[in-house]
Amino acid sequence: MNTKIKHLVFILWFFPVSISVFGQSTFQTGGLPSLNINKKLKNDWSLNSKIESRLLFQQGEINGEVDKNFTNILTDFSLIGAKIIGLNSRIAFGYLIRFEEGVLIHRSIQHYVVVQKLSGFRLAHRFLTDQTFSVNEEPKFRLRYRISSELPFNGESVDPGEYYLKINNEYINSLQAMKYDLEIRLIPLIGYGISERFKIETGLDYRVNSFLTNKTRNSYWMTLNFFIGI
Amino acid sequence: MYKYKFLILLILFSISTILFAQDKFEKESRIQPKDVPPRALLFIDSLNLKTKIKWYKEEGLDKESIEAKFKLNKAIHSVEFDTYGKIEDVEIIVNWEDLESDLKDSIFFQLNIDCLSHKIVKVQRQFLGSENELLFLIKNRNVFEPLKIRYEIIIRCKYEKKVDLFEYLFNYDGKLISRSRIIFKNSSHLEY
Repeated sequence: MNTKIKHLVFILWFFPVSISVFGQSTFQTGGLPSLNINKKLKNDWSLNSKIESRLLFQQGEINGEVDKNFTNILTDFSLIGAKIIGLNSRIAFGYLIRFEEGVLIHRSIQHYVVVQKLSGFRLAHRFLTDQTFSVNEEPKFRLRYRISSELPFNGESVDPGEYYLKINNEYINSLQAMKYDLEIRLIPLIGYGISERFKIETGLDYRVNSFLTNKTRNSYWMTLNFFIGI
Repeated sequence: MYKYKFLILLILFSISTILFAQDKFEKESRIQPKDVPPRALLFIDSLNLKTKIKWYKEEGLDKESIEAKFKLNKAIHSVEFDTYGKIEDVEIIVNWEDLESDLKDSIFFQLNIDCLSHKIVKVQRQFLGSENELLFLIKNRNVFEPLKIRYEIIIRCKYEKKVDLFEYLFNYDGKLISRSRIIFKNSSHLEY
């Protein structure tokens, strides 16, 4: 691993830890395994189906009481249809069903992605809106922007049998019952390309929200992502 | 006579279709100087460069090569060798605006046939010659008679309701040598 990437990994690890130290805040830690299956269709269409679980290992107040009960908080199933609309851009529409504590939650999703190939790395910009509905809560509307970078450890691009660093940074604006919140996500991941169609990634998914209105809530999820193309 | 003309047109059409159908896929991995063939290393050492040299191994569908990339006189150079270290060509990135008008007109003539609209993304001037001729070229920035010049150009081309990136290779006066579509790597892990 080159020195620049080592420094970057250190900064990304240090950033969430430094935020959580200040002020009264709560935290959650756990695991976030996901399986993505992508299928190319005719006429530049493609399908993405995803299963993701959120497993809670512990939660509580920072420097306070901690609940160490293991729980499967929720499981998501989503299906997204996408179409290439430019040289490196795609629009997509999809639907997600969430099973959370015996309640069914519905979410419709629309997004637009641009992937840029730059010298030695790739950048993806994702603009996403979603609308969430359930019987227990008011509808939630979100407007999200995510920037993702892929830095190969070897060469100009990621090839089969090579490792890479992926960093996601996302800003999520949400509106629910006329209350606004902002969530920020920072997700540094180490990935490995088994083949052109099969990638595995693992790392930390750090999320912070409610810092504008309430007590800050920090979440630290260890992620394990599988991406398979069929 | 018409029969022969028709046959010639049919052959030309078939060739152009073959050129159109080619896809370009390359695997490029960074390598250390210790893994570079000694002959290639000796060539680059003899340039006495003060800038950083990056070495790559390129694996295409039908050939492998070794490439040295470096900056010299503010221009990005890439020197390509075969796997034994024998030099194949030198490529230097140039500005489209700096090309001669006749050459640009000839290239545009071809692009207007192939694309509904197009955009020049990158232009590389390619030099082919003997080891000594190419060494002289890099050291003295002098182009002289025996060197063969070609232009490798990356074009964003819109055609038949599609947009793709193509790598075109033109000779010194802008006649098409080859054209291949650049295959993008899978990016689903960056999108979802």
